[in-house]
Amino acid sequence: MVKNITIFTTNTCAYCVMVKKYLANKGFGYEEVNLDTYPERQEEAQSLSGVLTVPVTVVTKDDDSKEVIVGFNLSRLVPAVS
Amino acid sequence: MAIKKEHEVIIIGAGPTALTAAIYTTREDIETLLFERGAIGGLAAVTDHIDNYPGFADGVDGLVLADQMRKQAERFGAVIELGEVTKIDAGKSSVKLETTSGDVTAKALLIATGSDYKKVGVPGEKEFFARGVHYCATCDGAFYRDKRLVVVGGGNSAVQEAVFLTRFASHIDLLVRGDHFRASDVLQEELKKHAGKITVHLNTTTDEIVGEDNKVVKVIGTDKLMGKKVDFPTDGVFVFVGLMPNTQFLKDSGIELDEIGFIKTDDNLMTKLKGVFAAGDVRHGATMQIASATGEGATVALRIREYIEGHKVINE
Repeated sequence: MVKNITIFTTNTCAYCVMVKKYLANKGFGYEEVNLDTYPERQEEAQSLSGVLTVPVTVVTKDDDSKEVIVGFNLSRLVPAVS
Repeated sequence: MAIKKEHEVIIIGAGPTALTAAIYTTREDIETLLFERGAIGGLAAVTDHIDNYPGFADGVDGLVLADQMRKQAERFGAVIELGEVTKIDAGKSSVKLETTSGDVTAKALLIATGSDYKKVGVPGEKEFFARGVHYCATCDGAFYRDKRLVVVGGGNSAVQEAVFLTRFASHIDLLVRGDHFRASDVLQEELKKHAGKITVHLNTTTDEIVGEDNKVVKVIGTDKLMGKKVDFPTDGVFVFVGLMPNTQFLKDSGIELDEIGFIKTDDNLMTKLKGVFAAGDVRHGATMQIASATGEGATVALRIREYIEGHKVINE
């Protein structure tokens, strides 16, 4: 089961909109970390994902295991929140 | 909620062509389902600012335009499924699709999958993808605050995105292979306003992207006039060297593609497969403009309506 979801985004990122839209459609709540607002958290996004891009979606499960999904990648996002 | 199996029209893609077609079909009470695997609005949605789409005197942000088109299509009943079509099988009376949301059929299918940015095809590009090499300035530009960048390309996208990236970067080297820009005069004028931050290098090829310690550190190019290698120290590279059609999934579908992969259609925008239409950036001969894409979306919707209603025999 999903415990919580964090999405790292920017103001101009179209794929971030898609991730948020998908999760909202499926009834999931999430915390959004906008890197334009909080640039100091950029390194956190980078260390979680290993890349310099957004969206980065971090799905934390009930057992505190984490799954990190880069981009709007349905083939990884769908099973991560199922 | 599971989607239903049978549809009147299915559209693959949800960019300007697809959304316009959906506005037209749904306003004619033709039930329409769209599949989108990426961003609703397509490349328009990842474009910072659009200045040449009619109706917006001051231009419009790509995300805003895409969202308005989506809302307009949904207002008339279009349904957008976030998923991917993996196989097409055109029968005599309907088209069958295998999708990540299950198998579905449609009386008519519109392929409006658009295009994506091409790779420049040099060593280092693949190795540093998303870790220093990027194709979406609006997605990844924020990671380069106060850093040096190289932008590759001389067309509208390259110039526009280089200007956008000045919001973040301390300096940008813009590498243009040819001896002049292909970008519009308006964009070239805009570029001149940022001469303090953007250095233009005409006649300069991009040969290699070099990294150290898992980071991009420089681009090696060739100054064609001088005939010598040049190093461009940088923290990242943004590539905008043209477009390639999103048609990889159509391999073995029976749909005729040109040598690059764009879909060939007849005058009614129908492909070789009966009931399967193609329009927008994915079509052979497309002009890659949002205004053209929406125009083709309207045209193809009318052709689809004629096809479905059987008022006119097409392609026989």
